[in-house]
Formats: sequence, C-alpha cells, structure tokens
Amino acid sequence: MNDQIVTGSDPGAGADAGGRRIGVYVCQCGGNISDYVSVDDVVAAVKDEPGVVVARTAMFTCSDATQQEIINDIQDQGLDGIVVASCSPKLHTFTFREMSKRAGLNPYEYTQVNIREQCSWTHTDDKAGATGKAARLVRAGIARTSLTEPLEPIVVETVPNVVVIGGGIAGMRAALGLAEIGLAVFLVEKEAELGGWAAGFAEMYPHGRDGRDLVTRLEERIRRHPGITVFTDAEVVGKSGSFGKYEVGIQVGREQAEAPAPKTQPPGTPKPEISRPGMPQLGTPEPGAITVKAGSIVVATGFDSYEPQEGEFGYGLDGVLTLPEFKRLVDSSDGPLAYGGRPVRTIVYIYCVGSRQAEGNEYCSRYCCTAAIHSSLQVATRDAAPVSRYHLYRDIRSYGRYEPLYNESREKGDLYLRFPDEEPPVVAQASSGDGGGATTAKDGDAGHGYRLTVTTRDLLTDGAELLIPADLVVLVTGMVPRENDDLVKVLKLPVGNDGFFNEIHPKLRPVETVVDGVFICGACQGPKNSTEAVASGLAAVTQSASILKRGYAELDPLIAVVDPDTCEWCGLCLEACPYEAPRRVEQDQEAAGGADQEGVDHRGADADHRGADTDHRKMVAVIDRVACKGCGGCVPVCPRNAIDLLGYTDAQMRAMIDGLLQEPTPCRM
Amino acid sequence: MSAGVNGATLVRPALAGRVGALEEFNASACMNCGVCTAVCPMGIEVLPRRLFRYVLLGMEDQVLEQIESIYSCLLCKMCEVNCPAGVHIAENVRSLRHHINRTVFGL
Repeated sequence: MNDQIVTGSDPGAGADAGGRRIGVYVCQCGGNISDYVSVDDVVAAVKDEPGVVVARTAMFTCSDATQQEIINDIQDQGLDGIVVASCSPKLHTFTFREMSKRAGLNPYEYTQVNIREQCSWTHTDDKAGATGKAARLVRAGIARTSLTEPLEPIVVETVPNVVVIGGGIAGMRAALGLAEIGLAVFLVEKEAELGGWAAGFAEMYPHGRDGRDLVTRLEERIRRHPGITVFTDAEVVGKSGSFGKYEVGIQVGREQAEAPAPKTQPPGTPKPEISRPGMPQLGTPEPGAITVKAGSIVVATGFDSYEPQEGEFGYGLDGVLTLPEFKRLVDSSDGPLAYGGRPVRTIVYIYCVGSRQAEGNEYCSRYCCTAAIHSSLQVATRDAAPVSRYHLYRDIRSYGRYEPLYNESREKGDLYLRFPDEEPPVVAQASSGDGGGATTAKDGDAGHGYRLTVTTRDLLTDGAELLIPADLVVLVTGMVPRENDDLVKVLKLPVGNDGFFNEIHPKLRPVETVVDGVFICGACQGPKNSTEAVASGLAAVTQSASILKRGYAELDPLIAVVDPDTCEWCGLCLEACPYEAPRRVEQDQEAAGGADQEGVDHRGADADHRGADTDHRKMVAVIDRVACKGCGGCVPVCPRNAIDLLGYTDAQMRAMIDGLLQEPTPCRM
Repeated sequence: MSAGVNGATLVRPALAGRVGALEEFNASACMNCGVCTAVCPMGIEVLPRRLFRYVLLGMEDQVLEQIESIYSCLLCKMCEVNCPAGVHIAENVRSLRHHINRTVFGL
C-alpha cells in the first residue's frame, strides 16, 4: 500500500506557507492513473512545496485502509490540510470530507485534485505530458490548501410543514406519506377533484386493480388525516422567504386565480395563521389568497398526453384514437368493444407516437408500450368473436416485470409488425376496392365495412408491404411535459431540454432540485408509470423528512461574502445573482442583516472587518447565507472587488494559478 | 401515399382462423429468434417463422407458393422442443397441411 512515503524531515518546511502542515496523497487508482501518470515523479515534484509535510502515493486512496492511514497521518503528524489527487470531485468529495471529520480535521481544509478524468484518461498517448500536468495540478491544489480556513456548515431551522403541488397519484401518496411521519401537509390541486390521470383509469397493470378505486381509497385516507389540508381549484402563485421556512402563496378558487395575484403579501398585511405545526386547518378553505409556511415543497404536477397533429397517422379521421381516448373507450363498458355503434373486429396500434422522434420529443415515454399491450389484452378476452389486433411498432419496451404481459399477448394472438423508422405506417379512410367497405365473403367478414386502412411495411415478413383494413387505429401516444410556466417562474424550477423538470442527479439525487427544499416527483420530471411515480413520490417524502424532522438542515458554507468596507452598493451583484441572495442594507446594520437567519453560525471572512465607524451611513450588500448557492456569479461583476467566495477566494485562485505555472517535472516513466 | 396502391398485400385476419383455432395455431408467440431454422434436419428452404407470418397475416398466395416445403417437413419436432417461445411448430405445419388438403387438393 505504502508505495512511497516522503515525510518532510525539515520541521521548518512549512514556514513559508504560514506554518501549514499539509498531507498530499497521489492515487494510482489501480492503474487508471498510474498507467499514464508517473505518480512517484508527481510525489517527488511536490514533496518540497511550501507546507507539505507528508507526500505519498496509494493504490486506492478511497479504500478504507488508505483512509485510515491518512487519518493516522493527520493525527500523528498534526496535519491541518489535506490534498487528495485522484478522481473527479463529483465522486469522492464527501468521502474525504467525512474522513477529515473522523480525523478531527475541518472538512473544508481538504482539497480534491482531479488527475484521472482530467489528466490520465485524457492523455493516454503522452505519459510525460500527463505526469507534468498532474504535478502542476497537485501544486495548484497544495497552493489552494495552504490558504484554506476552517468553515462550518450553515445551520438553518426548518418548519415541519410541506406544500405538495399536484394531487395526482404521486402527489397524493407523497402527501399521505409526509402526514404519516408527522409533518403538516398542504396539498394543492389545480382541478376541482383529486386523482389526476389515475382517477380516469379502470383496470391498471400489473395488479389489475381499478385506478378509480385506488384513488378513492387514497383520497379517503387523505381526507381523514388531520395532518393534511387539501386545496382544490387552487394554485401556488408565490414563494418568498428562504430555505427552511418558505412562505408559499396559494390562490384558492378559479375566479380569483385568473385575476393577477400579488406575488407576496404587501408588507404589514397580517398573514393568516394557516400553518401551525401539529394543528393544521381542517375543512374546506375559503376562496382567496393565503400564505402558508413550508420547510419544503414537493412538486408533483404530472404530465400531459401527447396530442398528435391533425393528420399525423390519420389523426382526425373517425376511428383514429389516442391511447387515453382508447382507454376510455375500453373502460366505458365490460362487453365486447364497439365504436360508433358497430362491433370492433380489427384494431391497429401504432406505437411511439410523439415519442422517440428524430426531431421533437426524443425520449421514450416508458409507459405506453405496456399500457397499450395491457389494453389490447383486455379487449382480447371480452369478445366471443375474434378481434384481430395488429401492433405496428419500432421497438417494444415492456421492460422489467411487464415482459410477461408482452409474452401473454403474443401467445393470445396479438400480432406484432415492425415498421422501419424511415417508412412509418400510413393511415387513410377506407374506400371500396382497397379492402375497405366490404371484404370478400370467403374471409367470413361479409358485410363488415371497415372505416380505415393502414399501409405498413413489416420487417419481420421480408419487409412486405401490407394493407390492413381496420375499425380502430390506436395511436399509442406518449407523455409530454405539462405547461407550467407560471409555477416554473414562482419556484425557479430547473427545466430540461425536453421540458420536464430536472433533478440534480438522475441516479444519486433523483428527487432533489438545485433549489434547496424543493423536490420533484412523478411524471413532471420525466415519463413514468404509476408505480414509478409513487416510488419517486415516496422518495420525496424521505428527502423532505430528512431536513424537516430534526428541525434544522445543514448547508454547504462555500458561499459569497462581501467586505462591507470595500462595498459601495451598486446592485450589480444582485443583477448577476440567479437566487436574489444579495440584499441592500445600511453598513452598521449589516451584522444584523446577516444574523436574522436564526441559528446561523457566523464564520464568514467578513466577520472581523467591521470598524467602529458608527457615523458611517453608507449602503452595502450583504449576501443571504441561505439563499446563496456559492456559484460565484457575483464575484467578477463587482467593480470594487468586494466579494469573495469562501473556499475559492481570489487569493486561493491566484495561488493555484501560480502553482499551475511552475515548471513541470521530468517524467522517468 | 393512399392506401391500397403499390401492390400492398391485403391482410385477411380470417385465414389464421380457418387454418386452426387461434389457441392451437399459436405462431404469434414467435419472437423471430431463428432456432427452428438452425436445428431443422431437412434444411427446409422457407423459414417456419416466415411461413407462419404469411398465415397470420392472411397472405394465402405466399403460403401456397410454399407447398413443397410444407410437405417436406418430417414433423420430427426438433424445432418445437427447441422453441424458446413455446410455438407448436410441427403442430402448426400439420394444421396447414390439413387446410391445404381440404382447400387445394379437395381431400
């Protein structure tokens, strides 16, 4: 493990770095780095940098054993700064912050240097160059570390209330989950009734239960629960305050909602005391605008069904239905399927309508294959006379546990025809002579006039061109994002290229957004079936609970700070800030301005810059420590250079540049 | 393009019904893997999966072009026991022969 240990023998080595004692760990990553970067040369190049007292390589720095060795070094050698040169900070920043904490070192005294993604992997053809670059990067990391200072997380009190926006199956289940763990919930639904899409479905896969029953039972539990206040015909029209105790404006009642609603209450207006933890309001709220306090907001605004263009796959012709329209037809009776007063003998399904388009909606809508197959099976088993079912598809994605449904449908005679992407099926009105009107007596369909014909090429039958007479053509339409521009503006929700809301990380942080305390779940963040929507709703419950149940949350302290002596309020920082974090205050109130965040621990670099000039009455900027996300957007626009970003101060950036510009090290690899 | 031009073959769902009840003629479960072709000791020219699709789609002319192959089958069931989709391939061939015996040969 200890491939090379270089311990600074000169006890005065750290003198010219302000007496810092820094440990440097260069990772081999089991060859990922060391195959292209001579890690020993990197250690040799940086071991005499100012402040460095330990420099060594490790096979896997992130391994438990190496972490323990670093902890031992921190404690035995009295290290006050750590540089880990390994992979992307996205991977192990929290690993080594936690390691630092276990060693008794402030986690913000540690610097991650990326010599894998940004060095060894990108320069596999140039070992000498990669080694030189790695040495420069590590030197820059050491230079940054020599100027770090201990920082404490920003502690924010949180209100144990949650606003859930959207009363579909995901929002309803989330509301119930939140209430059951003791949080007060305000469930806001735009429509007059709860239930969303699921309330309109009868039998749903995979359990065959009725969607209407599911929603009814869920609603009964919600209405019974004393912790949930339901607002129907209501919309969220405003959000103010900061993370932990947002004030959410809710407009109840349609008429009022159409009038321009004030974003926030005028100052001095008494706010209705709707939100009393543990004592939520019962009954139906009166129409009007109200404001509630909320520690978190769960967005579950759902999806819209893709609406085909007039003429797209014959849409607009009698008998051409979208998937939701077809489901309503199937659910409307238990008997044999009939349309327009006539029995349905042949159904053609066309898949991927509005999904997986070359231009437009590029995504797969996930639910539609299985939903169409499920509906087809419902139809298949109802009629004594056979109903021919042709599925014109590009790829069937009955993933996971829905594959047996696809197998069952093929066994029951559903016929799947694969059409080429570049030659989609053509739907037309039937006319006599092309199979429409009446087919030949020998087929036993005498007298059955078909409404429609579908021409398609079947790649599974030698690419033969086929003409299918049909009673119904079902366009298996996908999901599209719901139009929610007003809500996006109110909550500053991040919207992806496809129009759905974006989470921070699709795998590791799937319901969190870049706005602290605002979570997304269900189909508003991308196509999902009801099972997946409910699962993500419950994920939003646990994420809300994790910040609300203990009464406080911790935020990263890597935020912007203003030097009030240099600042002469010009407002440019406020213009540059996407989060409206800078506020204009009188300089001698600047301390009070920062301190009105209850529970906020002041460790900002500005803390000791205030003089005793009480006569001085100039206006300065103060950054709201909770609203600031540490993006740094305000730093370069400040004409007086009064803003610094903790963890990335100007002094640190200059030191890093100096480190990068030093001569590279020779490579002996 | 309007329907019915370019010589598109008319799909007649009733053929499959006449060849055998749908539950018995179960070729629609086929997933086009091709194992049946690979294990066939006769090396029959037409792929069983293609033949069955002709039946399912009611492409009777294309079926009748394959009479030679349909009657060359040994009904050894090598294909059937190896079929991962559980298609009764040999039974389907028997159903087809029965249909052709009646409609073409008048037996």
